[in-house]
Amino acid sequence: MVTPVDPPAIRVMVVDDHPMWRDAVSRDLGDAGFEVVAALGEGTQAMHVASAVRPDVVVLDLQLPDVSGVDVTRGLLVAYPSAHVLVLSASGEHRDVLNAVKAGAAGYILKSASRAELLAAVRRAAAGEPVFSPGLAGLVLGEFRRLAASPTPDTPQLTDRETEILQMVGTGLSYKQIADRLVLSHRTVQNHVQNTLAKLQLHNRVDLVRYAIEHGLSSDRP
Amino acid sequence: MSLQAPLWRSIAAFRFASLGYAAILLLIRRDNYGHWGYAWAVLGGMIAWTFASTILYSVPARRTRPVLAVDLFITMTAVLSTAVLQYPQSTSAGVMPITATWLAGPALAWAVVGGARVGAVAAILIGSCVVLLRHQRLTALYQSTALDGPVILLMAAVLVGYISTLTARAERALQHATELEAASRERERLARSIHDSVLQVLAMVQRRGAEAGGAAAEIGRLAGEQEAALRALVTGDGQVLSPIGELDLSVILAREAAADVSVVTPAEPVLLAKRTAEETAAAVRAAIDNVRRHCGDAGKAWVLVDDEGAEVSVTVRDDGPGMPSDRLAEAAAEGRLGVAQAICGRIRDLGGLADISSTPGVGTEVKLRVPRSGQSA
Repeated sequence: MVTPVDPPAIRVMVVDDHPMWRDAVSRDLGDAGFEVVAALGEGTQAMHVASAVRPDVVVLDLQLPDVSGVDVTRGLLVAYPSAHVLVLSASGEHRDVLNAVKAGAAGYILKSASRAELLAAVRRAAAGEPVFSPGLAGLVLGEFRRLAASPTPDTPQLTDRETEILQMVGTGLSYKQIADRLVLSHRTVQNHVQNTLAKLQLHNRVDLVRYAIEHGLSSDRP
Repeated sequence: MSLQAPLWRSIAAFRFASLGYAAILLLIRRDNYGHWGYAWAVLGGMIAWTFASTILYSVPARRTRPVLAVDLFITMTAVLSTAVLQYPQSTSAGVMPITATWLAGPALAWAVVGGARVGAVAAILIGSCVVLLRHQRLTALYQSTALDGPVILLMAAVLVGYISTLTARAERALQHATELEAASRERERLARSIHDSVLQVLAMVQRRGAEAGGAAAEIGRLAGEQEAALRALVTGDGQVLSPIGELDLSVILAREAAADVSVVTPAEPVLLAKRTAEETAAAVRAAIDNVRRHCGDAGKAWVLVDDEGAEVSVTVRDDGPGMPSDRLAEAAAEGRLGVAQAICGRIRDLGGLADISSTPGVGTEVKLRVPRSGQSA
């Protein structure tokens, strides 16, 4: 006889230097059936234990005392590439959030978001989908605009359709509403949105590699 | 420590060195003096005043006008006493007065306290005494060596006075810079500490309040607004004009963010000419007010700022009941120009375009486009 097994719980690591937030987020996640595999207050610790505790999702506060949010994001993804980083940010940290997303974070959620929004975001991140809030759409759109202002041959560009969809996400429309307006499938809208983020992250990686080569930091040099 | 302290130390050192010089001259050129004994008495007075003045001038509060006046008076008296002490023929032949170079002390002190002009006055007074000793006629005076010493003294006093003014100014600038630095460091310290404590708690109250609902939700909403305001305050987002008079539209609009209004902006500042930024923000505010008026408590609004380079677009969308598309034209025709005037008029004045589209049951979308140049159409 085959006994039905529950799908394994989503493994979450919480990184926030403020104990009050660390505990509250951990408790909310635990109550909702997630497995909180670690709750830490420092970026270096988080990067150290990531490969040992194997989190599906890392809920990461950007303002850590020891390492910048971007570096923690990058370090976590190097240490344990299958993790999905969900940034938990206070309002007004646009630059930091954008840099973390470019470094590979799956998205961000404001600290003011409700418990339900947090849980939904963690589930979405665990499934490997970007957590594309209106705020993130605005940041991604703004970054493409910034890049377009001084283009180089390999500057990524948005298609007209992608621009249109990002603007709609930015004004709070759901994928379903967008799909209805543009007469597209939900899946197509989602793909467009994911593409924009992928382009940005790829460009960021290409930039980093070029920087490394130009400055002689590649590992195959004697 | 004051930047002028080294100047005062130099003056003291100069006085003592000159005193030694004067003593040596008196010792080896006894033949110039008719009253050699009294001359030593005068030198004794000079020694006493050198010590006294050094002690007096060492404390800034004691560098007063009376002290400076006494200094000048004693020195001039010592110089003039030469007329009695030396043989007249020695004096007029150009033998140094009994004070030798010691006479420069008050001129330098006056210069440090009062600047170049005050120093020059003291130097001229002392120099006059020296010239007076020579008993020369004015016609012969300007050709003789009698003016060498006084002219050099005048130069020295003016120069020291100028340096003193410069150091005083530098000291004020340094003090100002130090105060600014201390203020900004204090601000950073406060920001860090507020970030670690108050902001975290306010954010938590907002979150928990929203979950609890009812009256707690109101408390949560208020906490959230204060969190955003306090964060803007401590991170110095208090809108500052850029050097070329531009304002960041994102920062202005961020103040409109509330529980029912999401403001979405790029990470980079959206800089617009001051008037363009303010008028655009006013139009956005009018659109938000309109949402609140027509959509009730359940209505939500989103504000998206998109910087397209040559122009900036701001979209205000709500999920309210919407209205038939001819309502607006109708209102304008009836002379109820509220929305049209507040939004479209402002944007048209900036040379931009305002487009209001609305679908009953879906919501209203106001799209504003303003050119960067911000010129009137």
